Amino acid sequence: MYNNIIFYSASFLIVLFGFLTIFFKNIFYSLLSVICVFFLTAVLFLLLGSEYNAVIQLAIYGFAIPIILGLGIMFTGKSGHETASSGSKLKDLLFFFGGLFILAVIYLVLISNTVIPNGFNTNFNYEGINSYDNFRIFTQGIFVKYIYAFEIISVILTITAVGLTMIKKRGEGLK
Amino acid sequence: METGLYHYLFIALILFIIGLIGSIMCKNIIKVLICIEFILTGVNINFAVFAKYCGGVMSEGFVMILFYTAIGAVELAVALYIFYFMFAKKDSDNICKYGDL
Repeated sequence: MYNNIIFYSASFLIVLFGFLTIFFKNIFYSLLSVICVFFLTAVLFLLLGSEYNAVIQLAIYGFAIPIILGLGIMFTGKSGHETASSGSKLKDLLFFFGGLFILAVIYLVLISNTVIPNGFNTNFNYEGINSYDNFRIFTQGIFVKYIYAFEIISVILTITAVGLTMIKKRGEGLK
Repeated sequence: METGLYHYLFIALILFIIGLIGSIMCKNIIKVLICIEFILTGVNINFAVFAKYCGGVMSEGFVMILFYTAIGAVELAVALYIFYFMFAKKDSDNICKYGDL
C-alpha cells in the first residue's frame, strides 16, 4: 500500500522535474531539477529492492555529477541564464504536446489486450530477493562473473583521470 | 492499483523520452549532457526492474547498473572537458557553434 503511494508520488515528481529541467531557461534551476530527478530515481531503486544501487545513485548521480555540472556552469562564466535560444515558444509547445501525445499512444497500446494479454496491470509471480541475495549477486557479479569488465572499467577511469590531467598540462605548456 | 513490471518500465520509458526530446531540443550543451544522463538513468531503471521481476534469469542487471553509472560519470567528465576547451575557443555554450569540433 505504502509502496504504491511512494511509487506514484516519485514517478509524478520524476516526470515533472524532468520536464522542468528542459523548459527552465535558467541553467541553475535546471541543475536543481536534475538533482531532484536523480534523488527520486534512487527512491525507485529502493522500492525495487536494490539498496546498493540506490546508494550508488545518490552518491554519484545525486552528488558527484551535479557538482561536475556546477563546475561546468562556473567555467562558462555566464550569469546563469541560458544564452542560446531554444527556439520559439510555439516550437517548444509543439514538442511538449507532441511528446504527451506519443506517451498517451504508448499507454493506450500498453493497456490494450492485443499487445499484452493480461493488460497493463499484470502481476507476475516472482520470487522476491532479500538483502542477502542482493549482496551475493553483487559480489558474484563484480568479483567472479564480470571481473574483466570491472577491471576494464577501472582502467578506463584511471586513463580518463590521467589523460585529462596530461592534456591540461600540455595545453598550459603550449601557452 | 498494485505496481508491477510495466509501471516501472513505463516510468523508465518516460525518462528516456524526456532525455531524448531534451537532447534534440536544447541548444545549451550542459542541458544536452544532462538529458543524456536522463537517458542513462532510464536504462538503469530498466536493468533494475528486469533484475527484480525476472530474478532468476537476469539478476546481473543490478551489477550492470554499476558499470553504466561508472561509464556515465566518465563520459560526463570527458564531455565537460571538451566543452571547457570549446567554450574557451568559441565563447559560447550554443551547441550549434561547435560544428568544427
